[in-house]
Amino acid sequence: MFNEIKNQFATNDVIIKRDDLYKVSVNYERVFSLIDFVGDSYNYKTLNAITCTDWIEDNHFAITYMLTTIDRRSTFMIQTMVSRENTKIKSLSQKFKQAEIMERDLAEMYGIDFVGNKNLKELSLENWVHTPPLRREFDTLEFVNNHLTFREGRDDNVDTKVEAKRLRAIKKAEKEALKKAKEEAEAKKIQEENQDGK
Amino acid sequence: METGFLQEQRTLEGDLNSKTSHKNSVDYLMNWFRSRSIFVLAYGTGCGAIEMPPTFTSRYDAERLGIRGAATPRQADVIIVSGYCSYKTLRRIIRTYEQMSNPKYLLALGSCTINGGMYWDSYNTIKKLEDYLPVDMYVSGCMPRPESILEGFIALQKDISNGKASSWQKYEDNYEFYRKNQEAVLGKTVEPSYEADWYLYDGGL
Repeated sequence: MFNEIKNQFATNDVIIKRDDLYKVSVNYERVFSLIDFVGDSYNYKTLNAITCTDWIEDNHFAITYMLTTIDRRSTFMIQTMVSRENTKIKSLSQKFKQAEIMERDLAEMYGIDFVGNKNLKELSLENWVHTPPLRREFDTLEFVNNHLTFREGRDDNVDTKVEAKRLRAIKKAEKEALKKAKEEAEAKKIQEENQDGK
Repeated sequence: METGFLQEQRTLEGDLNSKTSHKNSVDYLMNWFRSRSIFVLAYGTGCGAIEMPPTFTSRYDAERLGIRGAATPRQADVIIVSGYCSYKTLRRIIRTYEQMSNPKYLLALGSCTINGGMYWDSYNTIKKLEDYLPVDMYVSGCMPRPESILEGFIALQKDISNGKASSWQKYEDNYEFYRKNQEAVLGKTVEPSYEADWYLYDGGL
């Protein structure tokens, strides 16, 4: 099977992760014919998931299609790299009905355009006008600080580290004072004894 | 001497009947009625919704205090925002709240509604509910147990019978303020659309 795929789809990147989990990386042009091929010849007929990983350093997305056999005993991952900018990918929703909602999710979270998907509406972010939130250039903390108001802390709210340091200093001072007092008392006692002795 | 839940109830209701400054006896009576028959909208957001079934069923039995469920917003007195509000949920909460008839009260549960809780750095979760809707009573906890929810209800009942709980009035008076905050996070169209795509698309189900 793997030799066949290596020859036909011009790839050397075949990883056997487990007895029942394989991963193949191919060029974008060959992805859909490979999906057809493993479906027809090796029974990987169910689309489990479409995932996307953002490799911002290499400026590409890694799109992974996960296919499972009908008896659910073996999974086949087909990965391909696509550009991060104005990404356009052919939709799988004609072949797999369930691909529609997966593509909707990716379109919403990464801003990928799936050509051929009729229903590419936002899934959970309504009227979202900012950067798609799962792209790595989206700075969550900065966004939250700019767009949302936080509750101010209580007036008696203190920095725990500073407060612990302060309390420790007080405790130390108390201890030293106690020690000093004790020493003084002992010195006095000795003095008194000496005086008595005289 | 009462024991068990009778005593508990006596303790909880302790100063519900205390003498307070009412304008007149009609006011007093109206507030008494309102505080003793609280209809809670069957609606939950976030994880706090899981604490509500035990509150209303036989173990904690909120109905002994006159607190019971209502099926639709128009019949309900209280809406419980029981956890984090994402933008999508907030739209629905606003519509539901505005559908409820006066007098209406809002009970917010959990640290998420107070200061964002564990979602403090989430990009689609609001941090302070009172910026968007008027809150009568906050119940802290992550999540509050049914006992705490009952305590919150009792405190709300006390406020109602004293004539202090008037958040709906506040919402009407400061509508511009609330609307401005709502539009700041939700965009110009605050209310959700009524159409759901899954039954309109591709010939329906």
